[in-house]
Amino acid sequence: MKIKFKIKRYNPAEGEPAEPYFQAYTLDVEEGMSVLDALLKIADEQDTTLSFRRSCRSSICGSCAVNINGFARLSCATQVMPEYAKMGDMVIEPLSNHVPLKDLIVDFNPFWSRIEKVAPYLTPTSRRARRRGDVPARENDGARVTARDEEAIDKSQRCIMCGCCNSECNALEIDDRYIGPAALAKAWRLVGDVREGNSRKRLERLSEEHGMWNCVRCVHCTQYCPKSVSPLKQIESLRSRAMKEGVLDNPGAKHVEAMADSVKRVGRLDEAAMTFRTLGFLRSLGMIPFGLKMERHGKMPKPLLFPQIENIAEVRDIYEEAERLEKEDRERKKG
Amino acid sequence: MALLRYAYYPGCASHEITKEANETTIVVAARLGIELVDMPKANCCGAGLLTDYDYPLSLALNARIFAEAESLGLDIMTICSTCLMVMNTANRDLRNSPELLEKTNAILARTGLRYGGNVKIKQLLWVLAGDYGIGNLKKQVVKPLNWIKAAPFYGCHSLRPSDALGFDDPMKPWSLEAVIEALGAESVDFKGKTKCCGFQIDLVDEETAAKMTATRLLDGKGKGANCFVTPCPFCHINLDNYQSLAEKAASKKISMPIFHLAQLVGLALGLSSGEMKLSRHLVSPEKIIK
Amino acid sequence: MRAAIEAAAEGLNVAVVSKVYPVRSHSVAAQGGINAAIKDTDSWENHMFDTVKGSDYLGDQDAIEILCKEAPRDIMELERMGAVFSRDPSGNIAQRPFGGAGYPRTCYLADRTGHGLLHLMYEQLLKHEVFIYDEWHVARLVVEDNVVRGIIAIELRGGKLHRLHSKAVIIATGGYGRVFHTTTNALSSTGDGMGLALNAGLELMDMEFVQFHPTTLKRTGILITEGARGEGGYLLNSLGERFMANYAPTVKELASRDVVSRAEKTEIDQGRGVNGCVLLDLRHLGADRINERLPQIRELAINFAGVDPLTEPIPIRPGAHYSMGGIMTDVDGATKIKGLYAAGESACVSVHGANRLGGNSLLEAVVFGRRAGAAAARRCLACAAPEFPDSALRDSAHDIADILRRDNGETASALRQEMTLVMEEHCGVFRDSEKLIAGLAKIRELKQRYGKVSLSDKGDYFNSELLAVLELGHMLDVAESIAAGAVARKESRGAHYRTDFPRRDDREWLKHTVVRKEDSELKISYKDVNISRYEPKERTY
Repeated sequence: MKIKFKIKRYNPAEGEPAEPYFQAYTLDVEEGMSVLDALLKIADEQDTTLSFRRSCRSSICGSCAVNINGFARLSCATQVMPEYAKMGDMVIEPLSNHVPLKDLIVDFNPFWSRIEKVAPYLTPTSRRARRRGDVPARENDGARVTARDEEAIDKSQRCIMCGCCNSECNALEIDDRYIGPAALAKAWRLVGDVREGNSRKRLERLSEEHGMWNCVRCVHCTQYCPKSVSPLKQIESLRSRAMKEGVLDNPGAKHVEAMADSVKRVGRLDEAAMTFRTLGFLRSLGMIPFGLKMERHGKMPKPLLFPQIENIAEVRDIYEEAERLEKEDRERKKG
Repeated sequence: MALLRYAYYPGCASHEITKEANETTIVVAARLGIELVDMPKANCCGAGLLTDYDYPLSLALNARIFAEAESLGLDIMTICSTCLMVMNTANRDLRNSPELLEKTNAILARTGLRYGGNVKIKQLLWVLAGDYGIGNLKKQVVKPLNWIKAAPFYGCHSLRPSDALGFDDPMKPWSLEAVIEALGAESVDFKGKTKCCGFQIDLVDEETAAKMTATRLLDGKGKGANCFVTPCPFCHINLDNYQSLAEKAASKKISMPIFHLAQLVGLALGLSSGEMKLSRHLVSPEKIIK
Repeated sequence: MRAAIEAAAEGLNVAVVSKVYPVRSHSVAAQGGINAAIKDTDSWENHMFDTVKGSDYLGDQDAIEILCKEAPRDIMELERMGAVFSRDPSGNIAQRPFGGAGYPRTCYLADRTGHGLLHLMYEQLLKHEVFIYDEWHVARLVVEDNVVRGIIAIELRGGKLHRLHSKAVIIATGGYGRVFHTTTNALSSTGDGMGLALNAGLELMDMEFVQFHPTTLKRTGILITEGARGEGGYLLNSLGERFMANYAPTVKELASRDVVSRAEKTEIDQGRGVNGCVLLDLRHLGADRINERLPQIRELAINFAGVDPLTEPIPIRPGAHYSMGGIMTDVDGATKIKGLYAAGESACVSVHGANRLGGNSLLEAVVFGRRAGAAAARRCLACAAPEFPDSALRDSAHDIADILRRDNGETASALRQEMTLVMEEHCGVFRDSEKLIAGLAKIRELKQRYGKVSLSDKGDYFNSELLAVLELGHMLDVAESIAAGAVARKESRGAHYRTDFPRRDDREWLKHTVVRKEDSELKISYKDVNISRYEPKERTY
């Protein structure tokens, strides 16, 4: 079957400044062919100047992520025929949220610096020997780690750093100082590790501006991750760990606390109280002119009139039970 | 056609700030013959924030909502994409793991409630495009909206994560376009239709949120839309209530009217702009209503 | 990377130069695990015996002893660095059985062991502030008076040539699987380090020993871990028989890789294959075990062969997988050039001899990487920086300008394609004199044509075509070394199987093949094998 590939080309050597353009290649595609196979075939047989990254071609090295029909995917793990059948087109572009260097190759340095920002290595507790050379020859000193401990970080450690999540991330699209889903998934890989000794310090740093609370929960990262890392899930894990460890002095955590409180109190979201608690008194005052405009359209929430749901006692019971069972679980683990 | 009945879960936003979404849904559903059964006990789904707070607690609170619907023998219909996503994600996790379901029911035990795992959660958009059907909807249209060029703003939570939601395809969604076209209006395609409105960080990083809202609005406007329609009240809050902030962030006048899905449907069914509560919007849609 | 970490920990100024970013290197694709005798019921001696036997007695026993003795220490160190080894129910590091091993001693991270360890190494590089020159391709090793002076490398992003002046250089460039048509290896596994070493005057050892992995996916050659058989998978022919019973009655599917690959090829050649493959059946393991222990395998089979192992057997066949041979080094990674070291798959210590056991390659990379890093550090602390010759940069610039100047020649990709087919046909699982001699002649003819290869991309930015030409040069050198060694070795041992000499011949051939380049011609010599503990015996499974 002949399929037309529309590939975005760009070569900074071709002008000052060079403009990207689309070039079409028609290729005979056979069953089972991946987009990477197709790119290799084009580069081998039609245009040796076409540039793109690749290595393992089995979806584990993370080199070959590109935009296929508008969405970030590994070119090696995307089959041409079903993709074409579904989308009716075959448009290949460099990843979004990254600066193109040549053809499909983007500048990955910002990606790596984001990863480096989370100090992506284990800094073990002092109980674990850290001195080099002090290694028991036969004793299995990792015995404290259970399969359940590993399950907590299992997904986060599947990351292959292909950049699909950062490419799709809507927060990064707007705020280029945002730390991004890939680095946050890596951060949970460490914070969630029972052997890690600096979780709290990490959570404090992650709670700073442009950090983990800036995720807009657009779910793109989780939807398009080719390795089922579910970065959003890892961000949620980081956030709830921060709540439990009491890293609360930031708008993100206050927002969540206000929500938890509001649901416990009235069973529902109390927007006015939440705004007040998240922003604090002074910033909430700043919202007044805006609030007055909303009020004219009847859109200003009225905290005092806010009705409770029926059987609110059940909700409060659930809060207490969840807390009690968690405490029990924690103590069982300790003992 | 069999009678459609749902346990109706408007979501917190539509109880208060966007109550026009709730009120117009009730009117439109009645006109279409869809029966909505109240859930007076239902609590908040947590909007994702309770997932951040405490995952087991958030599952239990969602299970409480599901248990109420289960006792009514009905599936849930919401008009909020975030509720849709949060509830479906919780439901997926509970249904995929008998162990987790058991643990969650243990938290519920004191209240005497129990969730059996048998509820489905839909939103108005899915009901119209799925259970009710585009063909049937078309038959009800008395006033085709042929002057309207609507940007179908899905936002995030009616599409992703698709393994929990499953109704539409996040890479090639069709349902909102299909509804718009059934109403006789034109649907305007734009890249930003499946992206985020910025709502979740309105209170954390207003600047980014406002820029994001502006980017979406300008994207749709650039493609020739004369209004947006969204199935989600949170998207509505950002696109409409906070449009002035977006304009400030982008240093551009945008003036884009934003419809709740039910409102657009209602207008095509011949309901008046008063019945559709259009005066509650900050950016007035009156100028494009004939 | 393990070497860099060790040297950096000694306080040295260390840089990693790599044509791909470190987490892209092909170790990332290692699946099954890493061997170490960490249980009381196992011993390093047992591990050593299995390795020696697996090597068909060609491995140097002094090196194997170090490998097996130090393995537990390295596993614990990796765990301490942060490796997330899979655990057994009591929380100890879990181990699974692997081919050719008399004890289940393969530690693993599900079926992503290489991925886990490679990312761990990357983490440690950052922790030790090792500088990374990523997407820099080494153009030459700079050696004068038998002392290494550093390297010349081309920065792919802007095409600039750089000189990197250093007291020591460690080559850790992996294997050359891409010399063959069907291979588990990454597109970047082009034997660059071996080619560079030959050009610098170093010797390559045992290059004729190429491991063909028994379970690579139909069409693409993507690796399906030995762990799939370790967990209990069956190999079936078209008649539905577990044919390994006829080749290795005791351990069946868990015989060593050379034995299983030959068995499969025999089944296929004798008409009991299924479309050029045999079948790997995991269905009886059940969904839970497959999803827990072999999740990546399931994903690969679905995405790349359209087969779900829960419900269907996976079509597989042998494919080039690993290079037992490589740059000749001592047990500290040192070569005969002062300051120049090699480790990992690019080196030949030799611990794998004529056939490597599964789970020993990651181990070799870690143990001998560490040792090479330590040895290089010792040298750096003890000596002053030798001078860097001015001519080196100029010479490299000339070479590259020369390639860029050529016009109207063949493309590198056409030549590469031909080479891989020649190697598959003439130097594959079953070899004989006629095929090998013809193959060697063809490779030499391709080398002649290589001199006239030209390219269309003459630019400086990410010139991947230029990179392909440079890689092809190395691959042709490697291919010639493999074929030359194989022609000369008139016996069958481990992975090198000659249908015209089907038996092992310890009297004549219990020795290493050593090749070097002299005036651009390959010269072959031989070297004795170190035999300290285990005398050669017949090898059956």
